[in-house]
Amino acid sequence: MPPRLNVWSTCRALSIRSTQPVNQLAQPTIAARARCFSDRSIRTPSDKSSNQFKKLMAQKLKARAARAEAENPEQPEQPEQEEQIEEAAVEPEKEKNKEALRILQQVAYGINPADASIEGHKFGLPELPLPSDKHVKHRYDPIVDQMTRLLMEDGKLGKAQRDMAMILNYLRTSPPPRFNPSRPLVAGAPPAAHLPLNPVLYFSLAVETIAPLVGVLKFAGIAGGGKALEVPVPLPARKRRRIAFNWILETARKKPSKGSGRTMFAHRVAEEIVAVVEGRSTVWDKRHLAHRIATAARANLNHAKVKGLR
Amino acid sequence: MSAPNCLRCLTRPSTAVLRHSIAVPNAVASWTASAPFSTTATAAAGPTKGARPTSQPKRMETGHIRSGRRVTISKSKHRKQAGARGKTPLPGERKAYRKKIQLSNSNALHVHWLSDLDAKHMLDAANVTKVMGLPDALVDQLRAVEAFKPKQTWGFFRKPSTLIRPETVDLVTRMQQAATDKQTLKLVLDGDKLTGKSILMLQAMSHAFFNEWIVIHIPEAQELTTAVTEYAPIPGTDPVQYMQQNYALKLIQNIRKANEKVLVRMATAYSHPEIPQQMPIGSSLMQLANSAKEPENAWTIFMALWKELTANTRGRVPILFALDGLSHIMKVSDYRSPAFELIHSHDLALVRLFTDCLGGNISLPYGGAILAATTRNNVQRSLSMELAIAQREAEQLGAEKPLRQAYIRGYDHRVEAAMRAAQVIKVKGINKLEARSLMEYWAASGVLRTTVDELSVSEKWMLSGNGVLGEMERASLLTMRI
Repeated sequence: MPPRLNVWSTCRALSIRSTQPVNQLAQPTIAARARCFSDRSIRTPSDKSSNQFKKLMAQKLKARAARAEAENPEQPEQPEQEEQIEEAAVEPEKEKNKEALRILQQVAYGINPADASIEGHKFGLPELPLPSDKHVKHRYDPIVDQMTRLLMEDGKLGKAQRDMAMILNYLRTSPPPRFNPSRPLVAGAPPAAHLPLNPVLYFSLAVETIAPLVGVLKFAGIAGGGKALEVPVPLPARKRRRIAFNWILETARKKPSKGSGRTMFAHRVAEEIVAVVEGRSTVWDKRHLAHRIATAARANLNHAKVKGLR
Repeated sequence: MSAPNCLRCLTRPSTAVLRHSIAVPNAVASWTASAPFSTTATAAAGPTKGARPTSQPKRMETGHIRSGRRVTISKSKHRKQAGARGKTPLPGERKAYRKKIQLSNSNALHVHWLSDLDAKHMLDAANVTKVMGLPDALVDQLRAVEAFKPKQTWGFFRKPSTLIRPETVDLVTRMQQAATDKQTLKLVLDGDKLTGKSILMLQAMSHAFFNEWIVIHIPEAQELTTAVTEYAPIPGTDPVQYMQQNYALKLIQNIRKANEKVLVRMATAYSHPEIPQQMPIGSSLMQLANSAKEPENAWTIFMALWKELTANTRGRVPILFALDGLSHIMKVSDYRSPAFELIHSHDLALVRLFTDCLGGNISLPYGGAILAATTRNNVQRSLSMELAIAQREAEQLGAEKPLRQAYIRGYDHRVEAAMRAAQVIKVKGINKLEARSLMEYWAASGVLRTTVDELSVSEKWMLSGNGVLGEMERASLLTMRI
């Protein structure tokens, strides 16, 4: 149930003055002015004219008492008293009236004036919990972000980001890929027609698909004869992606470029990504080789010296 | 005869000697090679360890002993693999790839509410903030006059479409008025980088094509003045003017392709004895344009065509003569005269034709528009052009005209004369309403993957320097956050 607010009761508090009051010192504390401790450039009432302020406060209190008397139903309203009040109520009262009217207007518009997300905030409060992409350091898709750093040369992140944007735009404008059934993508991949309009998904699909599941850890001197013992280990997600994208980059860097200009390198990488998704790329062979080596090393898991390690 | 040994280092044999003496002991070769000024330390150290015996004489062959050693790393990161490269692209192929313009993306969604532009749409202020598609026939014509530029984002959407802005309506209304009054509109589009000056030119050209004007467009003015096109003096001109025949041929071909429908209808009013082909009076202008096959006579034929188009006879139509990159022709060009002095851009005949039109020296009998857009990229400042634009703007606003600064040289009276009659439209960023309409179109095409609400619109609008169009595209389309 909405609060019972009578518009006419606020009119009582209204005091109309035709002339501007001389004393403008005692203003109500607005949010910006409330930071008096951090900002000394703003003159607060207590700074110079504390006496004057106290006097004003006393006047205000008197005026309030007078009004309370005036609002008393037993006593009839007296014009003389009203005049006294007008004299007493100076600027702060007028400001308060404005505030009250503003709040009333908000209620009329259906806005809750006590809402913390509106009150005192120019653009409102952010929704919480904060979405992950609203954080300045995590604003890009995690895979795209990591791969951008791998694209980077000589610490030029801006250039890498531009290249990544061009890669994504190439994927967006190239025709949908034709999947190769003998080179299946990761489980749950969307149909090919869905990919171009979601280039981030297209890109991450290629990276995730080509990422090797396992790598080999080499234990020096265990195998005997100066050879390292190769033991297969599962790889963490970020490392798998890094290996995959480095393979893609390696292939792209070796390709001759067709055109010239700023899109040259980005388009080669993008073409390689399309080739990966379509199963044409030589990166697939690298993945198979990595898996074969790991599979061959499976027997070493039972080696006496590494058995208890993991 | 020169001495076989170097005079400064008589103790050591010169390279000439070394080259001919085949059996050089390794130790000698190694210390002579590594001691340009003093031999003591190296000689004391003895023969270098691990030096390959065969590599030393090889290094000696490359230069004088005092030229020093050059370290070569066998497996350099940037070293090219000669065998792996395959076929190299033919000349011009790389540039063609770079300048490729794609006007359609079959992946983008079809926007069902997108209506095609027609002759009246751009005249109606009620269409401001609407995005409208360009009909196919118009796209062909615009392509023929090279109105689309490689870096614009046409390739993201199903079909080329454009936003109607208040500037569009203003420009097109002025053009229409000029054609009605048989006056020549002389107008310069000026504005910051990426504010959409070239797109406004494209819209003006669309209007001209809809109304069957003749459109002549110079898409990149820098091709005329940066000394990349062949040039030759025109005989019998004083002061000497220069023609650019290859460019003229290309221009005639563009005009012919884009304005075919109109050119076929019009007949010649003059006989042209100066051109090699017989062209009796009454043959179509298309025939005249077709007679330009080689660069040799291209300029003569272009001038003949211009004379016909601006003839005051029946059946002629208004002309739109547009040029993109005005700043490039408002300076001294990079061409040289036979006396090896730099040629002023306005001494190049094609540029002069344009500036004469812009300055009001040539008027079009059936009206039309002379349109120029400035460019802010890759161009040196033209003080006089900037001043002239500021003066025209002040005149339009009724404000006080800025004057030349007294202590700065480099003003050019020819530039100021060329721009004295022009009107100026200052192209600025779009407002939020237009931005919203544009973003809704992007989202409907499936290219922008966010909700288009007040928050996202004002975010992109603000990111793009208060609605600079190209920056909005950069912030929402050419980003890696999709």
